Amino acid sequence: MATEALRSQVGKKWQDSFARLNHGEPGISGLMTFSQASAWVLLTDFVRPRDLNDPAPPNEYNMELVKYAFDLVSQCRRLPAMLEAYLDDVRQYFYLIKRDVDQYMEQYETSLDPEIISRLVYRLFKWFNAWLPISDLGQTIRAAYTLDFQTQLFAILPPSFVSGFKAYCASTLPPFDPDVTQRTLSGEIWDIFEILGLLDRYESVIASVGYEHIETYVLSTCTGKWEAAMLPELRNWMSHKIVPWMLMMYARGAATNDDAVAMLASVGSRFDFHMTKTLCDLRTREIFDIIIDFPESAPALEDLKECLQRVDQRAALVKSLRKANHKRLLHPGADTKLILSQYVATIKCMRIIDPPGVLLFKVADPIRRYLRDRPDTIRSIVANLVGDEDTGDSLVDDNEPPQPLHQIEIEDYSDPNWEPEPIDAGPNFRANKHTDVLGTLVSIYDSNDLFIKELQILLAQRLLAITDGNTEKVERERRNIEILKIRFGESALQVCEVMLKDMTDSKRIDGHVQSQMASIVHPTIISKHFWPMLGSDEIIMPGQFQTFQEQYAKEFSTFKPDKRLRWLPHLGAVHLELLLEDRTLEVDVPPLEAAFIELFSEKNVWSIDELMTRVGPISKGAALKALLTWVDKGVLKEEGDGSFKLLEVAETVKPVDPAPIVEEQKPTVFPAQQHQAEQMRVYWKFIEGMLTNLTALPLERIQAMLHFAPGYDQTIEQLSAFMDAARREKLVDVREGLWRLTTKA
Amino acid sequence: MEQISATIPPRSPQKTTVPSTTPQGVGSVQKRLGNELMTLMMNASPGISAFPKHDGNLFEWAGTIEGPAGTIYDGLTFKISINFPSNYPYVPPAIKFDTPCFHPNVDITGGAICLDILQDKWSAVYSVQTILLSLQSLLGEPNNASPLNSEAANAWNNPDIFKAHLMRHYRPVNNA
Repeated sequence: MATEALRSQVGKKWQDSFARLNHGEPGISGLMTFSQASAWVLLTDFVRPRDLNDPAPPNEYNMELVKYAFDLVSQCRRLPAMLEAYLDDVRQYFYLIKRDVDQYMEQYETSLDPEIISRLVYRLFKWFNAWLPISDLGQTIRAAYTLDFQTQLFAILPPSFVSGFKAYCASTLPPFDPDVTQRTLSGEIWDIFEILGLLDRYESVIASVGYEHIETYVLSTCTGKWEAAMLPELRNWMSHKIVPWMLMMYARGAATNDDAVAMLASVGSRFDFHMTKTLCDLRTREIFDIIIDFPESAPALEDLKECLQRVDQRAALVKSLRKANHKRLLHPGADTKLILSQYVATIKCMRIIDPPGVLLFKVADPIRRYLRDRPDTIRSIVANLVGDEDTGDSLVDDNEPPQPLHQIEIEDYSDPNWEPEPIDAGPNFRANKHTDVLGTLVSIYDSNDLFIKELQILLAQRLLAITDGNTEKVERERRNIEILKIRFGESALQVCEVMLKDMTDSKRIDGHVQSQMASIVHPTIISKHFWPMLGSDEIIMPGQFQTFQEQYAKEFSTFKPDKRLRWLPHLGAVHLELLLEDRTLEVDVPPLEAAFIELFSEKNVWSIDELMTRVGPISKGAALKALLTWVDKGVLKEEGDGSFKLLEVAETVKPVDPAPIVEEQKPTVFPAQQHQAEQMRVYWKFIEGMLTNLTALPLERIQAMLHFAPGYDQTIEQLSAFMDAARREKLVDVREGLWRLTTKA
Repeated sequence: MEQISATIPPRSPQKTTVPSTTPQGVGSVQKRLGNELMTLMMNASPGISAFPKHDGNLFEWAGTIEGPAGTIYDGLTFKISINFPSNYPYVPPAIKFDTPCFHPNVDITGGAICLDILQDKWSAVYSVQTILLSLQSLLGEPNNASPLNSEAANAWNNPDIFKAHLMRHYRPVNNA
C-alpha cells in the first residue's frame, strides 16, 4: 500500500539515487523539468487499475513522458517496488470485479443460461485487458500481473461458477439432436479462457464434460440396439463431432495438422477409451438379453468383443452374466427346454466374444451344474436330438456336421500348433474346441449311458405312437438314429437298431400272418429284452378282442414256432364302430375303453367294480377315466350308485358344454428314473460277487469296485445307506470296517 | 467328491500290466471282460463266482468254486486266481487253485490245473462262466487218464482214503 511514509521514503531514496546518477552533471534538461517524485507519481497513476464502470474517459497520458518516467524508475532500480505497489493496487481494486462477478452469477443462478457465463467471461477479459500493463513494461510485469489477477479471480469466483462453466462447455458440444443447431463455435472464447487461466484450472471439468457427453450419447444411441454394429458408427461420430470440439479445446495452438494430431493423441485416446468402456459396460449389463436375441444380436457381440480387447472388463462380463443367469435362468420357474436353449445360445455367443472359450467355461459352469440337478434335462436334450416336430427350432444346428463325441483329450505337447491355455483360464479349464454344441450338452453328464438309455425310452415312445405301420415315420426315426450313431458310436445304439428292426419286422410278419388269415389285429412285435420297460397293467380283453388276439397268436406261432406272443394290450389303439339302436358311432379309443364298451354288449348296466373284475388288474382311476370317455361321447350314462348304463337311444337332453378334449395319452414307458430299483438289484449282484470272492472289503473298496457295474453312479453315502439296509436284512455284516457276506448257515 | 471324480480322466491301469498292446486292443479286451463280469453277476450259476481283485484292473480276478453236491468235494469251497492275458479271448486265461486241492488233475503245491479247454482246446467262445462251470464239474469227474497228481489219481477209487488226503490238504477259505 502506497502510504505517505513509503512515498517519502521512496522519494528520499530517489533523491539519493538521482544525485548518484547525475554525478553533478548539469545539462540534463528532461531531468530538470521532470522532478524525481513526480516520475513515480505519474507512473503509479498510469498503471493504477481503473473502474470500467466509471463513465469518465480514462486520463490521457503523454506516452513519451510515461516512457521516460519508466526508464527513470528502472534506472533507479525501483521497478520491484513499483511492481509491488502496482499489484497492491490491483488487489485493492479487485472489489470492482467481484461486484461484476456477483452480479452475473446471480443472473446465472436464476436463469441457468450458459450464455451468461460466456458474457461474464468476456467481461472478465475486459477487466483483465483494462488493467494489463502495457507491453513496454516488459514480460515480467505482465506475467506477475496475470498470475496475481488469476489468483484474485479464482478467490472470488463462487462455487456455482464451476457448474456454470461446465454447463457452458457442454453447450458448446455438438448436440445429439440434429434439429437443434449447434452453438456457433468461436475459438475466441477459448483463448480468453486460456488467458484467464480457466482452462488449466478446470481441465478436469472440461474432460468430465466430454466424458459425460460421450456417455450420454452412447447410452442414448446404443441401448437395446443389437442388430447393428455400433462401434464404427460411434467412432465416426467421435471423429466428426467430438474431435473438432477437442481441437478447439486442446489443440488451439497447433500450427499444422501433424501438430494437432500429436497434441490430441493422449486426450483422444482417453476419450476413445471412455467411449469403448461405456459401450462395454452397457453391453455387459445387457448381455443376458443379447444372448436371448441371438443370432439377431450378433453385431452387438462383435462390438463387445472389440471393446473387451481394448478395455479389460472380462471379469466384469463373467460376473454380470453369471448374476443374470442366476437371477433369470437358473430357478425352478424356468423351463428346462428354455434353459437349454439359452445355454446353447450362450455357447454360441461366447464363442464369438472369446474363441478360446475361457469366458464360456466360467459362465457355463453354474448352468451345467444346475442342469445336472434337473431331472428332466436328459429328456429334453434327447427329445431335441431326435427332433420332435412340435418343439419348433432345434437346439442343434442341422448345418453342423455331426461329429463323434470325444473323450477328454490329453494335451498333445508334441503338436507344433500347440498353444498354452489362455492366461485367465481357471484350473479346471478344458479347451473344448473340438466338440460341437451337442457334444457340450452331452458332456454335462459324465457318461453317455444315461443319454442312450433315455434315447431308447424316447424312441420306444415314438415308435409305439406310430399307427397304421406308417413306414415314413419309421424311416425318419431310422435316419435320426443313423445320425446319432455318428456321435455316440455304432455299438452304443445297437439296441435302438433292434427296436427299429422290430418295427419293420412287425410289418413283414403282419403281412405274412394276414396273408394266411386276414385279421383286423395289426400288432407291433417287439423284442422284450431290447425295449425299455413298458407298463405292464395287463388288461384281459374280453369278447371278440380276445378271439382276435388268440387267432393271431396262433397264426404267429405257426410262422415263428420258437417265439411266443405276449400281448401288451394297453399300448394299442382300437378303431370301433358302435351300432346302437338309433345311431352308429365310429371312434378311435384306447383298448381299455374298447374292452368296456365290448362288455356293454353283454348287458346294458354294469357297475364299475364288475367291469374291473372282467378286464383284470387295473386301477379304479383308470377304469373311471375310460368310462367317462364314453359318457362324454354320450354312449354311457352314469347312474347314481357307481354303475353305468348304455344309452341305446341318445338322450334328448344333450350336455350343453362341449365335450372336454381328452388328452391323448402317450404309451406308458417308464422314464429312466424308475430303472433305479432295477439298477440297485444289479449293484447288489456285484456286491455279492465281490464279497464272495474277496471275502471282506472296506466300504471304499466296494464303492471303487462297483464301477465295474455299468452305469454305476451312486455316491459313497448312498452306498453306505444301501449296505446298512442290507445288513438289516442280515445279508451282510460288518466287522472293523470290513464288510462280508453273512455265512449261510 | 463328485466334483473331483468328474474332472479326473478315467484311469488306465492296464497300461502297466500289458504295455505291449495298443490301447485300442486293451479297450476291447476290457470291454469283453466287463461284459463277462456283467453276465456272470446277473446270471450266476450256484456255487461258482468270480470278481476282479482290484478296482480299475479287469485282468486279475479271484474266483470261488463250491464243490458240487453229491461229490467228494461237497461242502468245500475253493479259491482260484484267474489272470487274463492282454490278447484274451484268443488265448486262454491262466488259472490256478489258491486253496490246496487234492485232485487228480490239480497240482497240490502250485495249484496248476490240467484241463483241456484251458490249453489246446481253448476257444474264444468260452467265457469265465464256462471255465468256472468246467472246473466245478472237473471236481466231480476227474480225468484220470492224464493225472497231474498221480497219488490222487490212484486214490480216486477209494473214497475214504481220498477224503482223508483231501481234508489233510484242504484249508477252509476264511482262514486262508
